[in-house]
Amino acid sequence: MSEMEGFHYIGKPLARKEDKRLVTGRGRFVDDIVVPGALHACFVRSPHAHARILKISTEAACDLSGVIGVFTGEDLDRWTNRLRVAPPIEGLHPTEISTLPIDKVRFHGDPVAVVVAKDRYVAEDATELVDVEYELLPAIASLENALVGNAVLVDETLPSNLVSHQSFSAGNVDRRRKEAHTVVEASFYQHRQTHVPMETRGCVAVWDAGREHLTFHTGSQVVHPLRSQLAVRLGLSESQVAVISLDVGGGFGQKIALYREELTVAALARHLSRPVRWREDRSENLMAASHARENFCRTRASVTAEGRILGLELEITEDFGAYCFYPANYMSRVVAMILTGPYRIEDYAFDVKIALTNKCGNGPMRAPMSITSWVMDGTIDAVARQLGLDPVDVRRTNMIGTEDLPYRMPTGELLEDITPAETLRSVIDAVGYDAFRNRQRALRNEGRYIGLGLCTVVESTTYGSAFYKSTGIPGSGHEAAWVRIEPSGVVNASVGLGATGQGYETAMSQAVAEGLGVDPSCIRIHIGNTDVAPYGMGSRGARGGTAGGGSLYLCAQKARGHVLRIAAHELGLNSASDLRLLAGRVERLLNGVWSATGISLADIARTAYLDPTNLPDGVAPGLDFSLTYDPPPMTYSNSSHACEVEVDIRTGMLSISRYVVSEDCGTVINPIVVRGQQQGAIAMGLSGAMLEEVVYDENGQNLSATFADYLVATACELPNFEILHNHTPNKRTPAGIKGMAEGGVMGSIASLTNAVNDALAPFGVVANRQPLSPQYLRSLLRERM
Amino acid sequence: MSVARMISLTVNGETLEATVEPRKLLADVLREDFGLTGTHVGCEHGVCGACTVLIDDQPARACLTYAIQMEGHEITTIEAVGGTDLSPLQRALHEEHGLQCGFCTPGIIMTFEAFLRDTPDPSEDDVRDVLSGNLCRCTGYQNIVAAVLKAARTIREERP
Repeated sequence: MSEMEGFHYIGKPLARKEDKRLVTGRGRFVDDIVVPGALHACFVRSPHAHARILKISTEAACDLSGVIGVFTGEDLDRWTNRLRVAPPIEGLHPTEISTLPIDKVRFHGDPVAVVVAKDRYVAEDATELVDVEYELLPAIASLENALVGNAVLVDETLPSNLVSHQSFSAGNVDRRRKEAHTVVEASFYQHRQTHVPMETRGCVAVWDAGREHLTFHTGSQVVHPLRSQLAVRLGLSESQVAVISLDVGGGFGQKIALYREELTVAALARHLSRPVRWREDRSENLMAASHARENFCRTRASVTAEGRILGLELEITEDFGAYCFYPANYMSRVVAMILTGPYRIEDYAFDVKIALTNKCGNGPMRAPMSITSWVMDGTIDAVARQLGLDPVDVRRTNMIGTEDLPYRMPTGELLEDITPAETLRSVIDAVGYDAFRNRQRALRNEGRYIGLGLCTVVESTTYGSAFYKSTGIPGSGHEAAWVRIEPSGVVNASVGLGATGQGYETAMSQAVAEGLGVDPSCIRIHIGNTDVAPYGMGSRGARGGTAGGGSLYLCAQKARGHVLRIAAHELGLNSASDLRLLAGRVERLLNGVWSATGISLADIARTAYLDPTNLPDGVAPGLDFSLTYDPPPMTYSNSSHACEVEVDIRTGMLSISRYVVSEDCGTVINPIVVRGQQQGAIAMGLSGAMLEEVVYDENGQNLSATFADYLVATACELPNFEILHNHTPNKRTPAGIKGMAEGGVMGSIASLTNAVNDALAPFGVVANRQPLSPQYLRSLLRERM
Repeated sequence: MSVARMISLTVNGETLEATVEPRKLLADVLREDFGLTGTHVGCEHGVCGACTVLIDDQPARACLTYAIQMEGHEITTIEAVGGTDLSPLQRALHEEHGLQCGFCTPGIIMTFEAFLRDTPDPSEDDVRDVLSGNLCRCTGYQNIVAAVLKAARTIREERP
């Protein structure tokens, strides 16, 4: 299954089917769905980072005209089951949380009560009339404070705030350290960020009391796993819940978990027997939806005089916030697992510590392992700096070449069908490396400081079910699809993905078109409705292409085989081996030439549905196919990034003058969509590394709850991205697809920071923290100028 | 809170009436009272630009405007852009893949329908400068800029 050539529909740059409704304002996002008589929920949120709840007085709020009721953690505890996160992972403490806090609040923005009213304005008014009496507790607002011996406990059921701790060693890093010419140490601090989908969270819950059935409209990346969660937490069966996500205004990992607010709204709709809706406002989204990142990494590389890495050690500490909606090691374990990436390193050890703090809980955000490539290629740059070597040479000295493949990483991960040396070469050629160094020298003489940063990414994608099994993470990585050829010959198809802007209605129709042999315009993809789509694992971890596209491609091939069997019968042939379906017409190979048979898919469909007595013996009526597909434990894409920057040393202002990336993400289903994903991922990485930052003060007060404080890059801060293609197929996956869409974040935060350090090299300073704000860069330069 | 009263607004050339509190935002009246859900609410504090509509042909934030202030003004929303065919800008956004999730897109279209009317031959820097008033989390802006420049060329070529 390694074909790259010979596709008829995969690889075509089809403009998106979903665009027309979106450019005319006729999309259907959560708040666009009208449900007559729906009540509005609004949450009362804690103004404190850490406090006991002594008393909640709701009378004044309930007296307000239009208020239906005010409900608290005790009410929800009667109507819902608690969330227990206790997977079989060594070193991870189990946690359990109630749907709304009962005894204490754990972060600024924690929901303590909910108002339901006839109108959203009234509901918001009423939240201000709910009087909560608190007893303040000391706030744990930093990793350092979380992990001191006598720290106040964020979760009082745990022995300490260290909720998870794992370590690993392969080879013998102690011996490599003793053998080394030099031991190079480097550190990396990635700040707290949040996803910022342009459509905030929200939902509409409709309880049909007669049928005892919940219809839940929300924006979700994972409609079926969300349905399972809703059912379990509400004490319902999975046949009593339908989750519907039509258009979703961005997710980036924020719309995976069942959060407490959505569960509360569903429980209220059932309790009140009235539809209830909730729209999160932007400050709630920035403070209390889900945060991400905030991890500190330290590496120690034992190297030869030529820069060959003999051994590598990694320590990660992550600030996970107050609540676990995922196993606490969920993100950092992948960083540790794939750190060595494109480099030949056999002796490797890691230590991963995750701490709870009084901040909003963490979750996966586009490239949950985003720091990986910064840590690895930043370490390579540190080696080059310390040994006085060229950073490109150090990369080449250590890089995995084609002759090394398949390559077993020290953590056991298997790399095959990757091309890091090729993407690195292509990006270096594109930027004109030697010419850049000449220009850099000349400009330095004029007092201008430009820098070039490189990063080669090996991006983990797809995550098959074997990955979940081996890591102890609940869930699976397989995917499901169905393809139905209707009596008229048009094709409906579905898969368990959750679209948040990836253009699935277009790209997935190309995967079906290729497998079946029908033009994509005749195919409609139906997703985002649990009553329509098969139970799949949704969209996360760059799995849409390989798991989603792969299962549709295989299912459509199954359908094609069936259709051609019927065609062979109609043509009086014993076998379908010399038949094919292309553009919806059956063709026969005669004397080496594909020739028309006069039979179309519509003809076959008519027979299958309306004249089944004419089907071959043993063939059942109808054209209805389904299939599940479990991809490899992991697939890998690779890319090399080059970022050119200038730093104004007087102001610390950083500007990006050029950005080039060379990518190998296997077979590309739709190059327009893939290019858009590459651009979007790089943009998200750069925005995060330059501007975005969730800021908590020492008391755990969130200081970044508006877009005036939490800065997202605009069109003025981002450059155009030059994208080079070096795609080679994966030999193990359907159609050779590899998956992508997160590596751009990994490569951009690394190449940007490496570029800044290259620019500032004459001052002997190293930026090891993000964001790379003017204030931070000036603080580095201030004493050196 | 204060007493709701009847207001009459001119939206997309039609006169529409609603009984609303004076504090009700234009964005909410458009969406909830008039059913014009193409105007999206992304931040409710005037930064993201998703709710951009035209007030007397000029782009404005519907989340920073009270509906009651709009009596006597002409409001244009995304629902009035393009007819049976798409406008050159809508078409260019489709062709250049200038949208992904599409939530910010109506606000961007309203901003640039007005901009291209007044600035038929913009530079890339002009477009980026104006686009900085609209946040997009999906695209990295590159294809939106390309689409606006393409739409500008199309409009110039189609002009008699």
